Parts: sequence; C-alpha cells; structure tokens
Amino acid sequence: MFKAIVSAETLTSALDSVSVLVDECKIHLEEDGLEIRAVDPANVGMVDLSLDAAAFESYEADGGLIGVDLSRLEDIAGMADSGQLIQLELDEETRKLHIQIDGLEYTLALIDPDSIRQEPDIPDLDLPAEVVLEGSDVNRSVTAADMVSDHIALGVDDAAEYFYVDAEGDTDDVHLELTQEDLIDLQVGPAHSLFSLDYLKDMNKAIPADAEVTLALGEEFPVKIYFGFAEGQGQVTYMLAPRIQSD
Amino acid sequence: MSDWTETYRPTTLSEVRGNNKARDKLEEWATSWDDHRDAVIVHGSPGIGKTSAAHALANDMGWPVMELNASDDRQADVIERIAGEAAKSGTLTAGESGRRLVILDEADNFHGNADYGGSREVTRVVNDANQPIVLVANEFYDMSQSLRNSCETIEFRDVSARSIVPVLRDICRREGIEFEEEALEKIADDTSGDLRSAVNDLQAVAEDTSRLTVDDIVTGERDRTEGIFDFLDTVIKEAGAEAALRASYDVDENPDEMLNWLEDNVPKDYAGAELADAYEFFANADRWLGRVRSSQNYSYWRYATDNMTAGVAASRREPKGGWTRYGPPSYWSKLGRSKGTRNTRDGIAERIAEREGTSVATARREILPFLSAITHHCKNRERTVQMAATYNLDESEVSFVTGSGKETNKVESIVEDAEERIAETTVEHSGSAFFQPDDADSDGSEDTASATERPDDTDADRQSPASSNESSSAESTAETAGHESDDDQAGLNDFF
Repeated sequence: MFKAIVSAETLTSALDSVSVLVDECKIHLEEDGLEIRAVDPANVGMVDLSLDAAAFESYEADGGLIGVDLSRLEDIAGMADSGQLIQLELDEETRKLHIQIDGLEYTLALIDPDSIRQEPDIPDLDLPAEVVLEGSDVNRSVTAADMVSDHIALGVDDAAEYFYVDAEGDTDDVHLELTQEDLIDLQVGPAHSLFSLDYLKDMNKAIPADAEVTLALGEEFPVKIYFGFAEGQGQVTYMLAPRIQSD
Repeated sequence: MSDWTETYRPTTLSEVRGNNKARDKLEEWATSWDDHRDAVIVHGSPGIGKTSAAHALANDMGWPVMELNASDDRQADVIERIAGEAAKSGTLTAGESGRRLVILDEADNFHGNADYGGSREVTRVVNDANQPIVLVANEFYDMSQSLRNSCETIEFRDVSARSIVPVLRDICRREGIEFEEEALEKIADDTSGDLRSAVNDLQAVAEDTSRLTVDDIVTGERDRTEGIFDFLDTVIKEAGAEAALRASYDVDENPDEMLNWLEDNVPKDYAGAELADAYEFFANADRWLGRVRSSQNYSYWRYATDNMTAGVAASRREPKGGWTRYGPPSYWSKLGRSKGTRNTRDGIAERIAEREGTSVATARREILPFLSAITHHCKNRERTVQMAATYNLDESEVSFVTGSGKETNKVESIVEDAEERIAETTVEHSGSAFFQPDDADSDGSEDTASATERPDDTDADRQSPASSNESSSAESTAETAGHESDDDQAGLNDFF
C-alpha cells in the first residue's frame, strides 16, 4: 500500500537528483519515507537518496518496492506548477501508479524492479578531509573548470589549511582556493583526487545554490557529496569514483 | 522456473568447462594486467562460455564489472560516456587503485543506426583505457584491424561432447534428476560444441520427467549456420542435386549474394561443357532473381536457389577433389573499379541520346560501338573532330571512344579543333540575330566544312531527322533567313 501527497517542488528535486545518473530506478516505499539508491551504467557515480515522510503533506506506506521510468515520472511532475500538490497512489492489482495533479489524472505503468540494475552496496569509506561549503561555490567551481577541461582536481592543502579546485586544460588552467573563512567548515586531512567533470556537472545541476554541501575527500579516493533538500527533510549523497591519473 | 544457463553459470574461472588453455591464458592476462595494460579479445562460437569466463574472471579477481552488450544502444557517444568513463575511472569502493573489468560483449556486431559510429569508438576507448577491458566476439575478423592489433587475442574453441557430458551430469545431480548416460551423450552430440544450447536442451526435456532416458531426447539437431566456404565445397565438389539444395538452407546468405559467390567460384573447378551447363543454370537463376526484383514476389527465390545449387551440382560431369582457394565474389569490387569508366560511357551516351533522339540504352548499345569503330585511334581525324564537336566531348571522352591515350597531343588537338568548330558554328547559327540579314543567303556557301564532307548532299535532304533538335537561336533565325540554316552540323545518320 502506498498513498502520498507531496508538493511538486519536493518531488521534482528528488527525481532530478537521481535522474542525472540513471534512467530507471527502484523506489523503496518505507514506512518512514522514500529511499532510492542507484549506480550509473558505468559504475562510476552513485546516488543514495532518502525523503522523510515529514516532507510529504501526507504519507502512508508499508514497505513496498516499485520500479520507475524516471524521465516519464519527471515529465508528469513537470505538469504541476510549483506549489501545486501531487497525489501518488499505487494500485497493487495492476502495478500502476496513479498520479493526480489538480484534476489531471495520469496512470503510469511501472517497471519490474527485477529488470532494473541491481542497487549498489554503499561502500564504507574512511575519507580524511571534509569540506562544507555553499552550493553556489560548488556551482562556480564546476562551471569555471568546465571551460578549460573535462576533469577537475579537488583537494585540501593540509599545511596551509585551504580547499582547492584545479582544472588543467590543454592551454588554459583554472584554479580556485577557498580558505577557512570562505567555507562553512573545513576538516583538514590529506586529500587530492581527480574527477570527471561530466559527472560533477550533472550532479551540480541537482545541488540547490543555497544548500549546505559537504564534500568528503581522500587521496585518490572517491568523493562523497552530501546535501539536504526539501527543508532538510530530504538527503542526497552522491559518490563519484576518481579518474585514474595517467602519466 | 529459472533458466539453467543462468543458474549454473560458472562463478569462478575454475568452473568454466572445456577450453582449459584459453581459460588459463585469460587468467594470466588478468593477473599480469598491471604490467602490460592491454585489452584482450576473447573470440569463438556462440554458447561456449566466453561471456561467462569474463564474468567469472571478474569475480575471481574481485573486480566490479561494467558490461555493455548488444541490447544496449551503442552509439559512439554512449560508448564514450559509459565504457570510456568506466575505463578511465577508479572504483567506488577502492578509489583510484581499484580495478574494474570492462566487458564489451558482441564487439564484432555493430549494426545500424542504434550503433552508429560504435566500432570506431570502441577502438578509441581501448586505446585510452586505464582499466582492463575484455572484448567478446564471435567473428574475430569482423572487427577492424586496428582494433585487433591493439589487443591480445584468446580463442575459445567449441566445447567437445566429452566436456559437455560432465556438465550435464552435474546439473542433473543438483536438480535431482535421474538419467541414462546415453541420454546426456545424445544431447551433447546433437548440440555439437555449443554448451549453452546443450544446457537449454537438457532443461527442455528434463523439466517434466524425473528420469531421463534416450527416448526422451526428442529435441532435434540444432540448426547451425554453415560457413559459405564449406557450402561452396559441398555444392561444387561433392553433393548431388538434392543435397546441394539442402545445404543452401543452412547458409546465411540471400540468393543474390549466394549467386555471386557461386558464379565467381565455379570456374575454378569446372571446365568446358560442364562449366557451360553450370552457367546456363546461373542464367536461369539470375532471370528468376530479376523476376523477384520486378514483381517483388519473393516466392520465386526458390527457383533461383534450385538453379544455382542443384543446377550446378547436376552439371558436374566428373568427380572433383582436392582443395580450391575460393574467394569472395568480385562482382561488387568490379563494379566499384569500373565506376569511373561506366560514368564516362553513360555521360557520352546521354549526350548522344539527346542529340539523336534515341534512348540512352540505344545510344550506348547501337551508336557508341559504331562511333568507336569509325574513330578508332583517331585514324580518321576529320570524323573524330566532327564527333567531338557534335557531342561536345572533352579529352577523356574522346579518348574513351577512340581508345587513344587521353593526354596525347593527338587527342588534345582534336578537342581544340572541335571547340573551334563549335564556336564557328555558333556564330554561323546566330546568323541574322546579330548581323545584317543580308548574309543569310550566303549561309549555304559558308557551310564549307559540312559541304565538303557530304558532297552528294543537296540542300533539300540536308535536313536530316537527327539534327532536327537544334539550338533555339538557329530556329529563331530560320524564320527570318527563310531557309534551313541548321544543316552545317552533321548528324549521326550522315556517317552511314
């Protein structure tokens, strides 16, 4: 059983943050909220999303699992104006999701969850450095780096205690340093890794400019990007594997 | 009810049956990957465990797998984004030092729009990779040479019936099915080297019985596509009419292609009267293929196939033996090579046709040969110039018709003269349009070139039908001039 009413903004931002990595996903309908975990086809990026029951206007579920075509669901959610409410109801018999937006009824055929790529296990990583910054700073770094290169280095200088972003292109370079004062918080540790900008760009799209974003970094290790949405009722954790630094 | 080929898929390399040598080679490739950093191509027939071996290898090495196969869209940008990124990135669990196995299944099969640019992109991914890549393919030589050269190669051979039986026995034990040894042997024999088919067949017959006997094995022998070269051997050297026809059912070529193959290779073994007979049948087959093309009734294909297979086999008059180097049909490459010549020929024929009021085919078939004979090697220079002027031919076209070299002074001077003549006649034709009408009367006497060539012609019969379509300027002057002014240019009929 699943029945929920949620604001269009909350639903779209949740879906957007998953759809940057995958086209289809499994949604766990837990009693205390939604959970989505997915890894992209190349096994390079991963998303772990939870949306608490409190983020919904009303929420009832008893632990089901559905498979969803994300672009379809996003299109439907896009029909709603911001501030409008979307009502979701699962028909257990037909395995279809009934969606209502102010009189507009849409029946969405679901996908067999078994046919969707397996959900990843969340790796337990010990990442020494942690940077907390504003979403707009992430956006600024990624956009600037994208002008010159297809990959980006994120690191923390543990001696001088600052977080830096490096992008080296064939001809041009971009460098950004953010010290303790520019950041919300900085936990210094040895960290320097190279990442694909294609992925970071996509993830960046889902990060709200005013959100508090936490980056956990290590030496040639994946990055964990953590932020909240829907007034803190939803949490997204991205993980991105590092590029191999070829010499 | 799950698919046994999935349930009993090997999870470690040691469970991969048959192909021990290839298996060990694959393992060695993986363990020494850090030293050589090459990709590997695993190739062999379907169903013998190539993909399974790759997955088992990843499992053994503890490497996460990224697989891209034919069920995915494999356009260049998809391959770049997914396989490319997977091959350049570390893993989520171990970061940069972590290895990931990239498996590109069916790397020899890139088809149609869904895979546009795919094979080229695979080569690039392989060359830029920082992670181990396994390319799985059926046909080694269907992959580009650059790709083959940049990879190590491991060949998987067909699994022998001797190796298939133990696998089947093992499955039966685990499923709790009693069996007769002969039954398993029969399955193994029938599937001839295809382990996956053997397991599927076993499941098909064992599903409903608790005891498996030979009589239960009703699954027929599997269709196997026969290679075209074996087929040629069968039809040309061995089989009788009926057997030859039957052999064609297993070949993966349509009748048009099959005819090309046969027609090109039969002369390597047949000679004299039997070859003539065989070609008689090819002619029949071709006629049927023509009927298929024009009527779109593909049931006629059967008559084409009858003729080209049974017909050829029946034409054989003495036993054939030994080994013949058969080759792919040269039909298309011949067409490709002769394209330039054919274009020149058609270009000339079109102009002749327009000028003489015939069809292009007639011009090509009935006029061009005569022109060639008349102007052979430009011996009759005057006629050649005349021809070049009439049909406005350039050097290469004159050389095509006459058979003289294109760059020779002879041809060049002829074309020059022809151009001059065209210029002259154009001025003449413009006649009263630009000058005083009083010179219209002298038209006939000015017409020296054609007058000397055709001394018997009278003014009256100069208007040959062939030269009736003249330039419009000539026609407009004709009215004011009051008599035919367009007869200074010889038509083709004047040659005869």
